[in-house]
Parts: sequence; C-alpha cells; structure tokens
Amino acid sequence: MLSLIIWIPLLAGVIAALAPQRFAAWIAGTGATATLALVIAVLVGFDPDGGMQYVTDVTWIPGLGVDYNLGIDGLSIFLVLLTAAAWIPAIAFTASRGTARPGLYFLMLLAGETATLGAFLSQDLLLFVLFFDLMIVPFYFLFGIWGKDRDGVAASSATLKMIVFTLIGSLLMLVGAIALAVISADGGELTFNMTELAAQGLPSGSQNWIFWFFAVAFLVKMPAFPLHGWMPDAYRAAPLPALAVFSAVLSKVGAYGFLRVVLPLMPDATELFQTTMLILALASIIYGSVMAFTKTDLRLILGFSSVAQLGFITAGIFALNTSGGEGAILQMVNHGLVVVPAFLIVALVAERFGGEDLVGMGGLARKAPVFAVIFLIVTMATLAIPGSANFIGEFFIINGLFQTDVAIAIIATSGIAFAAFYALRMYQQTLHNPLPDGADSREISLRDGLMIVPMVLVTVVLAFCPQLIIHGSEPAVDTVVTLSQAEAGE
Amino acid sequence: MAIEWYLVLSAMLFSIGFIGVLIRRNPVVILLCLELMLSAGALAMLAFSRMLGDQDGQVMVMIVLVVAACEVVVGLGLVVAMFRRRLPLDVDDMKELKG
Amino acid sequence: MSTAIWGWLVLLFPLLGSVLIGFTFRKIPPKMAGAIGIGAIAAAFLCGIGALIALQGEPSESRHVASSLWEYASVGGFQIDLGIYVDPLSVFMVLVVTGVSTLIHIYSYSYMQSDEGYHRFFSYLNFFVFSMLLLVLAGNFVLLIVGWAFVGFASYALISYWYRRETATKAGMKAFVINVIGDIGLVLAAILIFRELGTVEYGAVFERAPEIFSTNQWEVVAICLLLLVGAFAKSAQLPFHTWLADAMEGPTPVSSLIHAATMVTAGVYLIARSHPLFELGLTAADIAAWVGLTTLLVAGTIAIVVTDLKRIIAYSTMSQIGYMVVGVSIGGYSAGLFHLMTHAFFKALLFMAAGSVIAAMANRQNIDRMTGFGKAMPFTALMLIIGALALSGFPLTSGWFSKDEIIDFAAFRGGMYEVMAIGMMIGAFMTAIYSFRIIFRILPGPPCEEAQYLIDNGHVVHGEPENPATGEKEDVEVGYPGEDHHIAEQAPGMKIGMAALGVLALIGGLVQIPGVTDVIAHFLDPAFEDSIYAGMHPTTEESWIGLGEGGLISVAGIAFTWFLYAKRPNIPGMLERRFGPVHALLVNKWYFDEIIDFVIVNPVKGFGRFCNEIFERFVINGATNNSVAVIRSAGGVVRDLQSGLLRGYAVLMLFGIVGIGLYFLIRSI
Repeated sequence: MLSLIIWIPLLAGVIAALAPQRFAAWIAGTGATATLALVIAVLVGFDPDGGMQYVTDVTWIPGLGVDYNLGIDGLSIFLVLLTAAAWIPAIAFTASRGTARPGLYFLMLLAGETATLGAFLSQDLLLFVLFFDLMIVPFYFLFGIWGKDRDGVAASSATLKMIVFTLIGSLLMLVGAIALAVISADGGELTFNMTELAAQGLPSGSQNWIFWFFAVAFLVKMPAFPLHGWMPDAYRAAPLPALAVFSAVLSKVGAYGFLRVVLPLMPDATELFQTTMLILALASIIYGSVMAFTKTDLRLILGFSSVAQLGFITAGIFALNTSGGEGAILQMVNHGLVVVPAFLIVALVAERFGGEDLVGMGGLARKAPVFAVIFLIVTMATLAIPGSANFIGEFFIINGLFQTDVAIAIIATSGIAFAAFYALRMYQQTLHNPLPDGADSREISLRDGLMIVPMVLVTVVLAFCPQLIIHGSEPAVDTVVTLSQAEAGE
Repeated sequence: MAIEWYLVLSAMLFSIGFIGVLIRRNPVVILLCLELMLSAGALAMLAFSRMLGDQDGQVMVMIVLVVAACEVVVGLGLVVAMFRRRLPLDVDDMKELKG
Repeated sequence: MSTAIWGWLVLLFPLLGSVLIGFTFRKIPPKMAGAIGIGAIAAAFLCGIGALIALQGEPSESRHVASSLWEYASVGGFQIDLGIYVDPLSVFMVLVVTGVSTLIHIYSYSYMQSDEGYHRFFSYLNFFVFSMLLLVLAGNFVLLIVGWAFVGFASYALISYWYRRETATKAGMKAFVINVIGDIGLVLAAILIFRELGTVEYGAVFERAPEIFSTNQWEVVAICLLLLVGAFAKSAQLPFHTWLADAMEGPTPVSSLIHAATMVTAGVYLIARSHPLFELGLTAADIAAWVGLTTLLVAGTIAIVVTDLKRIIAYSTMSQIGYMVVGVSIGGYSAGLFHLMTHAFFKALLFMAAGSVIAAMANRQNIDRMTGFGKAMPFTALMLIIGALALSGFPLTSGWFSKDEIIDFAAFRGGMYEVMAIGMMIGAFMTAIYSFRIIFRILPGPPCEEAQYLIDNGHVVHGEPENPATGEKEDVEVGYPGEDHHIAEQAPGMKIGMAALGVLALIGGLVQIPGVTDVIAHFLDPAFEDSIYAGMHPTTEESWIGLGEGGLISVAGIAFTWFLYAKRPNIPGMLERRFGPVHALLVNKWYFDEIIDFVIVNPVKGFGRFCNEIFERFVINGATNNSVAVIRSAGGVVRDLQSGLLRGYAVLMLFGIVGIGLYFLIRSI
C-alpha cells in the first residue's frame, strides 16, 4: 500500500514524459490524484493509537542491515496527506498556464513527490537519508531549467547555491547515519532500522557530534537562520507552482526529521542541546519576521515568513513536551496548507500587475471581491489569527515553550506581532489602496478558483476543529517526546 | 647469487622505461617503454619467486606477459589508426579529454 | 428552551447573516442585504431576551450555565471546548450589544445607501456582532481570545472599509497590530492560567483561583497584568490608545457601533468577567484603576482641543471607558457596567448625529467650518444636544446616574480611591466642556455654506469628495457620500435609529435610581456574589449626595463652556495663543504617536534595515557565496590537473606511487 503511494507518482511522471506532450498534464494529474486517493484510504483505516501501521519490511541490502522498511504513524500521516494534496494544485496550475517541455517538467515534479513521500514513510534510516537526498535533485532541475534569471542572479547559479548547501547537509547526514548505525551496533550486527536503533541506544559522547550532523542537514532544508543563505536566490528563481510545493512540503521534511530521527535516536544530545536549538529557533523567528517586513518582493516575504514559521515549529519540537510537539505537527500541516494557496495567489497577483514587487501594486479588491476574500482568509491564517488552526498550533507551541523556558516563550510571541504586520501589509498593498495605472484588476477565474479554494476550505474546516489533527497525532507525538523527557528526567 | 643484482637490473629497466614514457612523445616509443617497465616488473617477480622457491610468481609472470601482449596489440592498433588518419604521432597534441 | 440553546442561537443568527450576505452578494439587491443584516441582529436580540427570561427562571445561586458543542483542541491535558458560558453578566452584555447593534444597523440601512460596497458593509457588520457576542459568551479563555481577535479583525476590516484611501488602510493596520499585541497578552495570560490552575474554563478557573492563589501572589498579579494588556489594547487605554482616533477613518456607523458602543468596552467586560482573579491580584487591579484615571484625564484634555468632529467624540470615548475601567477595577462592577450601557446609548447617538452633520458637510469633519446646523437640521441638532447632555452627566439623563455611581463608589472606598474620585470629578468637568464645545460651535450662528445649501435645496451638497484627514481628492469609486445620500431628517432608517437611542440616552438611567429601582445591580448580583466587594455599596443618601455633586459639576461645566464658546467666542483663541506650548502638546495628543514611533517602531524598523542591508548582504550572503566560491575554486584546482597531457598523468602517477611507498616505508619504521 505505502509502496504504491510512493511509486505511483514516479510512474505517472515517467509515462507523462514518454507520452505525447499534450497528454502529459492529464497523466500527471491522474497520478497525483490517485496518490491522494490512496492516502485518504490509508487515513480511513488509520488508528491513532496503533503505532506504526501499514508496515512493509523487505530486506534490501542484507550485508549492511538496510531494509526497504515503510510505515506510517501519527507523526507522518498528516504530512503525507499534505504532500499528496499539495501536488495536485501545483500540477493543475502548471497545466493551466502551460510550460516548456511539459513531459520533463511533470516527471521532475512527480519524482519530487515520490522522494518526499518516501522520506516521510521510510522507517529505515538509510532509506530515509536516500529519499531525503533524492528530494533535492528534481527541484534542482525544476528551478534551474524552468526558473527565471533575476537581477543578475542567474537561475543556474541560484540553484547551484541551493544544491551546494543542501548537499553538504545531506552528506553530513549520510556520514552521521552510518556512524550512528556502526557505533550503536558496537561490533554486533549492523542495522538501520530506526526502531531497533532506538532500542540499541547510542553512547552519549557519540550522540553529541552525530546530532549536529543531522541538525545541520535539517536546518538547511527548513531553512533556518543562519543557514538560509541559499533561500532568497532560489526562491526568486523558482517557477511558482514548484516553489509552492517546495516551500509547503520540503521544508517540513527537515522539521519532521527532528521528530523522527533526532529525538528518538539521540535523546541525550537532544536534551543537551535543547537550549541551543531553542535559541536558533528563536533567532529564526525574529530574523525571518524582521526580514519579511522589510522585503517588498512577494516571494521573499513568503520565504522569510516560512523561516519564521519553521522557527516556531523547531521551537515547538525542542520544547520537548507534548504540547510543543503537537503544536509543531499541527503547525506543519497548517503552514503547508496556507503556503500553497499563498504562492499560487502570488502567481495570480503577478499576472495582474506584471511583477512580484509590492511597490506599484494596489487596489485589486474593487473588481475582484472573491479573490480578495480568498486572499484575506489566507492572510488571516498566515498571521495565525485566533480562531484559525494556525493559532491553535502556535498557542500550543508557546504553551509548550512556556513550560520549558518562560523567557524564550515570551520573546517568541513577538513573532506573532511581526506576522500580523507583514502578512497584512502584503494583503493591503496588493488589494487595497489606489489602483496603479496599467494594472489589470480582473476577478479570479473559476478555473484558478478551483485550484486554490479546496485547500483554503480545508483551512477553514480545521479552524473549526483542529482536534481532527490533534486526535490523530497526539499518541505518536507523546511517544517521541516522552523518550526525551525520560532522558531529561534522569 | 644474491637477489640484489636481479632487483637492481629490474629497477634500472623500470627507470629507463619510465623516463622514456615521460620524455618521449612518439606513441610507439612510449609503448615500447611501457613494455620495458612491465618486463622490469616481471623480472623482479621472477627473482622473488625463485628466492622463495614458490611457483606462483612464475605463473603470474606468464599472465603479465599475455596481458602485455594484448596491450601492445591495442596500443599498436591505435597507433596504426592514428597513422592512417594522418594524425601527428605526438601524444602531447592529443589532449581533448582535458577536463 | 434552555438558557444554553438561547445562547447558541444568539451566536448563530449574526453568523448566518454574515455568511448569507457574503455568499449572495452578487445575487440579492442591496436593500435585501440590509434587511437580512437587520433581521439577523434583531433575531439575536430576541434570543438574548429569551436567554434573559430563561436565566431569570433559575434560582439566583445557580444562574450560570456552561454548554459545549465539541472538543475544540486538547493536548496533554490542556483541554479547550467550543463552549459558552451564560450568566447575568454575559446576558447583560448580549442585550447591550445586540440592542444597540440593531438600532445602528437600522441607521446604516439608510446611511450607507449610496455606498458601492453595501453588501460588504452588512456582511462585515454582522460578522462583527457575531464576534462580539462570541467574546461575551465564550466559556473559556481561549475562546475569549478567539472572539477577541475576531472583533479586532472586524474592526480592521471596517476601519479600512474605504480601502482606496491610504489613510484608512494605514489606520486599519495600526488598529490591527496594536490589537494583536493585546491578543498576545491574553495568550500569555491564558497559558499562565493553565500552568497554575490546570484549566482555562471560566467556572473551574474562578473556583480554583482562591484555593491556589493567596492575595497578591506574583503569579496572579502577572496573570492580571497580562489580561490588562489585552484589555487596554482593545479599550484604547494608555499607552495602547493611539489606534482609536485613527480608527475614525471608518464609516460613521462603524465608529458608532464598534469604536464607541461595543467593541472598545470589551476590556471593561474582561475585567468584570475575571473579577475573581483581579480580587486576588489587587495590585494589578489598582494599576488598572490608575491607568483608567490617567486615560480619562489625558483623553479629556485632548478632546477639548482637537477640531475633527469624530476625533473629539473618539477621545471622549477613551475618556468614558477610563471611567468604566476605574469602576470595575475598584470593585464597582454594576456601576462600571451600568455606565457601559448608558455610554453605549449616548455615544452611539452622538456618532450618528455627527455622521448626519458630516454627510451634510460633504464628508468634511472640521468643526471650525461648521455653524448654523441648529437651523439647517433641527432633528439632528436635538439629538446632538441630548447626546451631549447625557455625556456630560446632566441631571436626570442616563449619564448622570451611571457616571456618578462610579464616582460615588470610589469615594465610598476611601483612601487613595478618594483621590481617584476627585480626579474623575475633574474629568467630568472636562467632559461637559468638550461635549458642549461641539454644540456651541456647530448649532448656533449663521449657517455655513453647506448648511445654507441644505436649507435652500433640501439635500446634501455634493462637493468633490475629499479625504477628511489629508484633504486629498478621493478615488471616485470610494467617493462618499454619493449622489443619493440622505441626511437624518429625510431617511426614515436614520431617524428611527437616532430617535430610539435618544430616548434611551435620556431615560436609560431610570432603571438604576439609587434606592428606587436598582434594576441593573440586582440583575448582575448573582454574577458577582462571590466578589469580596459583594454587598459593599454606598448608602442611598450618600448616592444622592454624589448625584447632586455630579449634577452641579455638569451644569457648571456647561455654563462655563457657554461662556467660553457662545458668550465670548474670542477667549478660546486667546487662550490658545497665551498657552501656545500647552496647546501644541494637546493638539499633538501628548505626542504619544511620536513617542511610540521613537521607542518601538523606529528601532524595529532600524533593526529590519540593518538585517536587510547589512547582515543579510554581508554576513549571510557573504558566507553563502564564499562557501560556494570555495567549492567552485577547489573544483578549479582539480580541473586544472586534468590537462589531457598523457605524460603529465604519468608524472602524477609516479608521485602517487612514490607517496604510497613512502607512507608504508615510514609506517614500517
């Protein structure tokens, strides 16, 4: 079942690349939809208290103890759902606008989906590392080939920056993974199975350095301050639909990695570096927020707001209690759900103004009230207005932080005030104020509406009942954080 | 007889071959020098084999000779091909594989 | 039906109204949207009365009902229900909110008729009422925050309702951000409450608080101070008040409903609602009272000098909320809430009447230009006078009973509260001055150009629409008032709304005549029966003495104003010149905006610029580009080795072999 979920997108991508180009979009869309359907089927049969489910475990490289081991639990299920859901509007949007070499484009996009789903589903450390590394490859081509050159920064050099950063992280992680397995096997039989690794335990001395190998990889992927240097150029170069899924889902893999790998396998180091990580997270929140409200490029505002949001998520994870961890999971899903529509809205706004800079925008709301309402909902969810599920996520994160470190919790709240400012500024300066000359303020078309509205609707439904997600993931989060708590208690 | 003489001879042959490879630019001569280096290696191996009273070395030398023959065939084939295409017989001019 | 169902129905109707208008805005005619809006609020009002009757049917010791729809969110024992809490306090607030809202909706039905975004207006307005009702009915602190933020959002949306105006969008942004800061205060308060008490449900919190906290224990004081941050931000108390004056960018019915009658009093409600906490954190309660007192004095002084009609009333609102805050902070809950109610009546009325004048002035708001409206608009003039009388506490009007009840209570508490009472009396004197300054400026005298036009032609002058704040020419699409705009005299909806509020402003105080009716106090008593101030109140004689003093102050203030502005109209100008610096200080609103800019906004902006232009460019980009460059140049070195020179490779091989040989040689040694 899970194998099907992982490989269907790639299969669809290959067929799309080989089939006549005019069918490419349809094939890609069908593949992504089929994946979503399968994920929903998994969700229906999912038992929140059942631990790891739908397990597939096949020996892959016996000599090294590497298995093809897949499973799904409360930590990953909603992220998998988010992934499967996020790809559909991205494909639809690309299809509606047309693109050069569509077959290859969809192959890359769907290969990205396969790798991402693989990273969320693998329960074998080496398999995880493998999928984690594979994720970046299709996006390298997507950003490099279909990207745009900006202000003297060529798309190719922007992507080179990105690939160098993420590869350094990934290689460190590979080294870390191997070291982890070898050291914890301690001369015995080598295994990469995460559950067994957690059971074997790792000497705390080794944990301390391996921790950073993993942390750097995850922090780069998020990206978190100060490892976000690749982000601005890459975001500006990328084609928007691909960027939407990249920002919505791939950044979450980093945060997910902390929950899945770091906390259970390296509890001592987690506890030791808790404060360091919290301070890094705090720096991300503040730096991301401040940058977001000085920038005028819509992509960069969203990019830096993601840095801030991922800061909140990291902080929640490293609060090392159920409240923080659960808030982080909720926030990952919420943020993903908000970012995809947000980037597509940026694309629509850019089509109307012929650019992506806030300067020289304004006044769309007059002719496009429906578009304004959709954007307003997305804006309010972005700034986590109380009453949205995003607020509940942030609320539990801050509650978790409050129990860990009051000062950090209080400073983190400044991120909320900043968010109110930059998110609202983005909304106002595109939709309100006088309309500049030459702008085309038409209403959102039905076709575009159909791509954006479903995700917005999910956001609205979750606003009424965030418990849906909490209920499904709480037992799993509880297990992960209690491991670290037990260590902290010693 | 002490083994040193054999080894000295072998080393001398190897050095001559190696220097030849380094300083000559004609591929035919380079191939000859390579053969010389291989023979030097084979000689050393024979000497050790004899010293240890073990036949394995002899067998290895036979294999090396066969491989060397193959190599010469391929190398000379290339040289002939170059000659036929009227390419200059100079290894320094052929650096299209440069990175 | 049970009380709880009535409570849910109260919430349901405005939400339905908002959603219905929102979804059908292209289909239904504007009048129908207005009718739906009015109907929804009126239905909510009727359900509020239903809740009142059902609640009164309960014995007085069990007059509170909690009801929950479903579990909203629950993590690690932190359980939040989607629940409401109905008790006399919330029913009181529901009735005030829905009652005043209904009248203002009726007023808006006519007032906004010439506006392009009629549907949007009613959808937002209904949403606002829903949020406000959610705020007062919420059953726990988290849901309270939700309602709190929703009213903030509705307020934002309605302040920047005329969104083509940059001043309006800026004002909306300011209001929103300041309110978010208030929200953060509440969020931290809720989290601290949970940490200390293990729950955020009202009933349980208020039950456990006295068991766990001792008086003035720092935790409870901290909780109260954090709650106060929220309350002050919402209720425009110092130092979070700057947004309220700018909020006057919104349409006048919005100022009337949100920024006078209902939303801004949420802070008062919050203090009253959490009184068991404030009675434990007495220090915080005292701080609240002092802040309220300071605000009422500062705002009063500003109201005396500013010349923008709506801003005068806005500062007056701040000042009156100051009274309420003092009232509920010192334990005079029913007095504070009574003033909240009467203030809703007369302040909504004043704004409506002002809206009528402003419409007649083609959207100009400066009172220096307005004269002679007494003759041009007699009905509006009458309403303005009623509003001003009630605001300044003229005997027998509603404001007289309510304001003086707060002052009496402070005097009755004695000690430093006596000082507050004196401060509030000074405030009352200023209230009389600024409210009658409006009257004496606008109504008498020869009609100004616009007023004369109105007398001659019977309809509003249509000037070039311009922004009242900057004088810039308006974007025509937002131009307001439009061609077919009515003034109060001619539109039935506006007349009904104003007349009803006028009556209430006059006689609304009669429900709480000391020693005679005391309806409000008796009704609210069950909600405050656990209070340490329960049963503490001035005797009837003391109350009447207080009322007498209040009446005297009010009459004296009005007479003084008459002397200044009607008898000797040159004196104010003389005073302005004589006390130039003081006048400048007041006209510039004590420079609060500038101070906040200097202390908070500019440093943050500077930090942003530093991050953007220095840190990001040199440190982050530098590090990124350098590390990429290092890798690239390392690649360059290796690339140069691939010369393609066969003999070069041979040399390298030699070095390699020699190197390996040396390595083993050295190791063997």
